[in-house]
Amino acid sequence: MEGPREKTTAQKSTETSKRVRLMVKDLAQKAHEARAKQEPIAYLFIASFYDDILRAMDIVTVGTENYAGLCAAKMVAEPFLAKAESEGYPRNLCTYATCGLGFDAMRRDLGGAMPPNAPDGGMEQPTVMLGTGMMICDPRYKWYQAAQRYTGAPLHVLGLLNPSHYYTHADFREFRDYYIRYVMEELRGLVEFLEQRTGRRMNWDRLSEVVDLSEKTIKVWHDTYQLRKAVPAPMPTEDALSAMVPGYFMMGTQLAYDFYRELYDEIKYRVDHKIGTITDEKYRLLWALSLPPWYGLVIFNYFESRGAVFPIEMVYHPPPPPQIPDAVTDPIERMAWRFYDAMTQRYEKARNHTGDPWVEWFLELIEDYKLDGVVFHQAMTCRTIHTGQLHQMNILKKHTDKPVLLLEGDIVDVRNYNEEATHKRIDFFIEILEQYKARHAQ
Amino acid sequence: MSAGMAKVEEVFRDRSKRARELQAEGKKVIGCLCTFAPVEFITAAGLVPYRMAGSMRKPAELVEHHLETIACSFTRSVLDLGLAGDYSFLDGFVIPHSCDNIVKLYGIWAQTVKHEYGHFVNVPHTTSKASLEFFEAELNVFRKSLERYIGREITDEDLHRSIALHNRQRALVRQLYEFRKEDPPMISGAQVTRIIGAITSLPVAEGNELLESLMPEVREGRYVNKKGKAPRLMIYGTGNDDVPFVEMVEQVGARVVVDDLCHGTRAYWFDVGTAGNPVAAIAKSYLEKINCPRTYRQSPGTHQEDLENRFGYLYQFAQDFKVDGIILYVIMYCDTHAFDAPDIVEYLKSKRVPVLYLEEQYQTSATGRLKTRVQAFLETIA
Ligand code: SF4
Ligand code: SF4
Repeated sequence: MEGPREKTTAQKSTETSKRVRLMVKDLAQKAHEARAKQEPIAYLFIASFYDDILRAMDIVTVGTENYAGLCAAKMVAEPFLAKAESEGYPRNLCTYATCGLGFDAMRRDLGGAMPPNAPDGGMEQPTVMLGTGMMICDPRYKWYQAAQRYTGAPLHVLGLLNPSHYYTHADFREFRDYYIRYVMEELRGLVEFLEQRTGRRMNWDRLSEVVDLSEKTIKVWHDTYQLRKAVPAPMPTEDALSAMVPGYFMMGTQLAYDFYRELYDEIKYRVDHKIGTITDEKYRLLWALSLPPWYGLVIFNYFESRGAVFPIEMVYHPPPPPQIPDAVTDPIERMAWRFYDAMTQRYEKARNHTGDPWVEWFLELIEDYKLDGVVFHQAMTCRTIHTGQLHQMNILKKHTDKPVLLLEGDIVDVRNYNEEATHKRIDFFIEILEQYKARHAQ
Repeated sequence: MSAGMAKVEEVFRDRSKRARELQAEGKKVIGCLCTFAPVEFITAAGLVPYRMAGSMRKPAELVEHHLETIACSFTRSVLDLGLAGDYSFLDGFVIPHSCDNIVKLYGIWAQTVKHEYGHFVNVPHTTSKASLEFFEAELNVFRKSLERYIGREITDEDLHRSIALHNRQRALVRQLYEFRKEDPPMISGAQVTRIIGAITSLPVAEGNELLESLMPEVREGRYVNKKGKAPRLMIYGTGNDDVPFVEMVEQVGARVVVDDLCHGTRAYWFDVGTAGNPVAAIAKSYLEKINCPRTYRQSPGTHQEDLENRFGYLYQFAQDFKVDGIILYVIMYCDTHAFDAPDIVEYLKSKRVPVLYLEEQYQTSATGRLKTRVQAFLETIA
């Protein structure tokens, strides 16, 4: 997301991630051009895992969560949130969704014209909307279902499956084949829907190329983030909040691949030359599985001013390079494997240890990235990611004594945020970290 | 009060009593959450399905350290009871993928409340052919998991027998609702809530007997509240499984004659097919016939057609039960219902059915503030 470039700059931000703002603008521009030429446009969720299909069919996508984050970072989300509320959507619903619904409602009221102050020229009216069921969260189908009243665009919901992260008592070998089969059928259903609704034909050879490119991109993105284990931290979380854009909104494009290649080289150079994010790195922290406050990314600067840096984060992390059997060559099947594999990688490990795949990941990162503590952020309106954090903390505490901090706020709605209280909590946490490090130094 | 209703009151007052008696006789009791837990398998396995509920009368306290306040308050209430030991008697639990909140609850429950058996059933959100096939495969895994637990096979015959028993229960509940079509209704909303609370804590055959014993009492008019005319209401919403809210609505002068609730019509307004493969039949009916916003219904075309397709059944209820107004009672932080609310309001208004939209914490369902809003609504439709 491009937010951090607006509000905050890590002391030594990577040059590559600074390019993301332009890339975001270009994405919006592509949508405007597509509209002018009456070409199809799809509303799409982040990390959909099937972007490859849209790339191969040359369908322009609009990332609606990304747009809400952009509005928040630019402090222009409020009228959209207010509009959604006046339409009857409760204030506590996912504010990406209410920001998007408010925007769509205004655009409809204006007869298709863009609402005033819409960043990057606004979100274009979609030709189709693509949602998912059982993948990440319920708003991923409920939001667009509601949006139909404003966009009138047909919605297709794929029943993609997150095998439950908590499903640790079961043996996944019993499940794997029908999970993969299901995802494959749903992906084929998507192609069919898109062919019917957009007039575009799938070029299967092209899809194979795109899938190859995506797999290569995931690999180099993943390798880049492995480099972030270095001390001092070569790239902070606020850079990652930008650097995720090519991976999460442009997957399957040469641009995304080139971006991560370049980022890799830059980080490698920094690691080799021991260039850190801040001059005096005292504490290395994990940004837990929490979405950031897009309106208030300056909190990362606040941490840095206290000698704390976030070398790695659990959100917007690259998916693990998929382990796909060699015999699998069909692009749709490869995509299904990519999806399945990412969801189940820590399953066995959890079964034999903490019982919770998320906590396994916390522990791995703490160890691999030499971290001193964990910071959670409870974004009030996103239940999916931000409930269960207390539970994660409870289990985590059984396996590590690293200090943990819980901040409160939101993703988009600044009304849920109290800066002064947040700073106080951070100050207090830094003291605890200091004591923790002193104790362990003895 | 006659024997049938007296029994309902007794069972409802101490819902787990019968389950514990059965355990003393060597039976195993499995807690089930939500309408999407396929109870037919549990009965077929010779186990007792016990529907887990929350409590509107008990403030959630222990849950503070385990599940955030932004989680749906119904889920929090259920977990709170679990942490307090109210569900310790269960031998196992089955939680389906209904919504994000329930999925979270499964993980936390498995690690904090703990029973000798636990299973999570992944339920697709769409009704595509692939979703149906997937769900059937998933149900077969559930069946195998239960077989391992009980140490014997669950035959198709067992499943067919179980389906017949559960279908019988659904038919009996629908029959009970028929009495509510009368004016005045022959049984109150609060009484029906108690009856459903009671039968869902008993083995299905015992629940059926209880319902059968009640029918003549209701038919004879023993529970009719004859006090003049009163507005007839429908309640739409989520886990409204306890009586305070319905009671409050009826105390301020309305008659709750029908509902669209998880502990009401949603669980009983369908039958599982009896021909052919029983697992396929269960998959099909749960996915296609349970009306809940967690299952996505593809729009057939225009926005108006979409509304008709998704909510037409509500209007049908309103007509069949001669409803004067509908209360949309959405539990706070229930995303699936909240996203639908503006569409439902729009639809019902287009049909000229008065609507009151309430968004409340599960535990505060009967507070004075709510009462005032319900009263004001009643005045507008009087
Ligand atoms: S994951 Fe959270 S923030 Fe993202 S769309 Fe879902 S509810 Fe909204
Ligand atoms: S009330 Fe809503 S969020 Fe809560 S468990 Fe029921 S469907 Fe899920």
